[in-house]
Amino acid sequence: MIHLKTLNAAHIRLIAVHWSRHAVRGGAGLVYLMIALVFGLSVAHMVIMPVEQLMTVQERERGQVDPEAVRNMIITVGEPITQFVLGLRSVEEIAQQDTGHEQPNARNFVGPPQEATNDAGSESWTDFLLEDRPALLSAIFLLLLFGMPFAISFLAFNQVTGDIQSHGLRYLLLRTERGNIYFGRFLGTAAFSTAVTAVLIAIITLYLGLRIQIYPAAALAGWAIHGFLAVAILMLPYIAVCSIVSASVDSPFLSLVLAKLIIGGVLLFAFLGGLKWEAVKLVKYLLPWGWQNHLLHPEPSHWLAAGLACLLYTGVFLMLGYARFDTRDL
Amino acid sequence: MQERERPGGLTALAVINFVFAGFSVLSLLGTAAFFTLVDNIPTDQMDAAQRAQIEALQNLGTGALVFIFAINLLSGLLLLLSGIGYLKQQKVLGWMVGNAYAVVSIVSSVVSAMMFARELGGGFNIMTIVGLVYPILTLVLINTTFKEDLTN
Repeated sequence: MIHLKTLNAAHIRLIAVHWSRHAVRGGAGLVYLMIALVFGLSVAHMVIMPVEQLMTVQERERGQVDPEAVRNMIITVGEPITQFVLGLRSVEEIAQQDTGHEQPNARNFVGPPQEATNDAGSESWTDFLLEDRPALLSAIFLLLLFGMPFAISFLAFNQVTGDIQSHGLRYLLLRTERGNIYFGRFLGTAAFSTAVTAVLIAIITLYLGLRIQIYPAAALAGWAIHGFLAVAILMLPYIAVCSIVSASVDSPFLSLVLAKLIIGGVLLFAFLGGLKWEAVKLVKYLLPWGWQNHLLHPEPSHWLAAGLACLLYTGVFLMLGYARFDTRDL
Repeated sequence: MQERERPGGLTALAVINFVFAGFSVLSLLGTAAFFTLVDNIPTDQMDAAQRAQIEALQNLGTGALVFIFAINLLSGLLLLLSGIGYLKQQKVLGWMVGNAYAVVSIVSSVVSAMMFARELGGGFNIMTIVGLVYPILTLVLINTTFKEDLTN
């Protein structure tokens, strides 16, 4: 039986604000900040560096940079890679497409269900990301959507487990209820993660706008806001997974290891199992892995559904964790 | 004065300092080995970009070499000392040396970006920002969040 009547909005807000403000002081926030910024900026460097090199060559040979030629090069190079990342084409199909023999229906493991897409849809999705929106930012967002779930457990692994281990929660429970601590700390973690995401995407967008200068500022800003919302919302279910683990074990280290194993293990199991049995691929839908790229889909119905699904997963995971936390011995 | 309990974040900062100090030592060794061998690297099989990079390294003056060595050595030393200072929560070894590391590191990142050719990673790019992340974080944290913890 879950006791939600004891929840108090003022207590939850107070705990959330305190938790997010002291995340760095506690250590987990500092480590996450470093990992998220270094990972995110390194990903951006990996994507932007070849373009910068091309611009340097153009400047040396022609005396000026041709933004149209640079954008066309990005689209040409990025199209097969994007199709692979979105799960719209397998490596074999891309190779066959290059030699003029195309097989349209096969999918790789990270893609959406086969019936959800077709060739026209796949082309429009790729075109949307590479031509209608700033392609460099799209590529960076796709890599962040894939990589950031692995980093989030460094921030979220110790929401309550450290205090369970030290029995420190007993002192807090004199002043408030378990639910307020559990949900307050989840919200504080989510707020800190969102702030780090905002800083990261702001740095990358400013760099693209001020340094690379091949996209209009309005297009960059609009797409940056969409990408920020996508990454921020995607983090919520993964933080909630960490909430379950944190509320279930007595050791912060064990909580970190288990959170990593669950988040990475679901994807790895779906991939390796899917090589042998097709049905095992569905395991990836236990977490948002299977459809999270739809947060960057051109159709509002797709990205809205993906966003709502993130919130639904978050709600389910949070309730499972709370059911455990509410009844366990502290 | 009453000793304050060391916050987890300060311990994490010290550990990161030690890790980066280790990288500085490796970088020193790598740089030393590279510059003793750089004149003997055959460039005939390389493409134009790789050849340009090797030639730029071969043409580096003694001043630049000394600068790279001195900065790596100084950064590594300051990282190590300030890491110890954070663990002992000392004002001089922690707060002062930590600030010195941050300033030296920020200045060296800016100077490197201006001084070296693009082929050698010079010029302002995203990796310059990556290089600035930790010194700036250090500067902010030891002067705000952890300032009252570094008083011994």
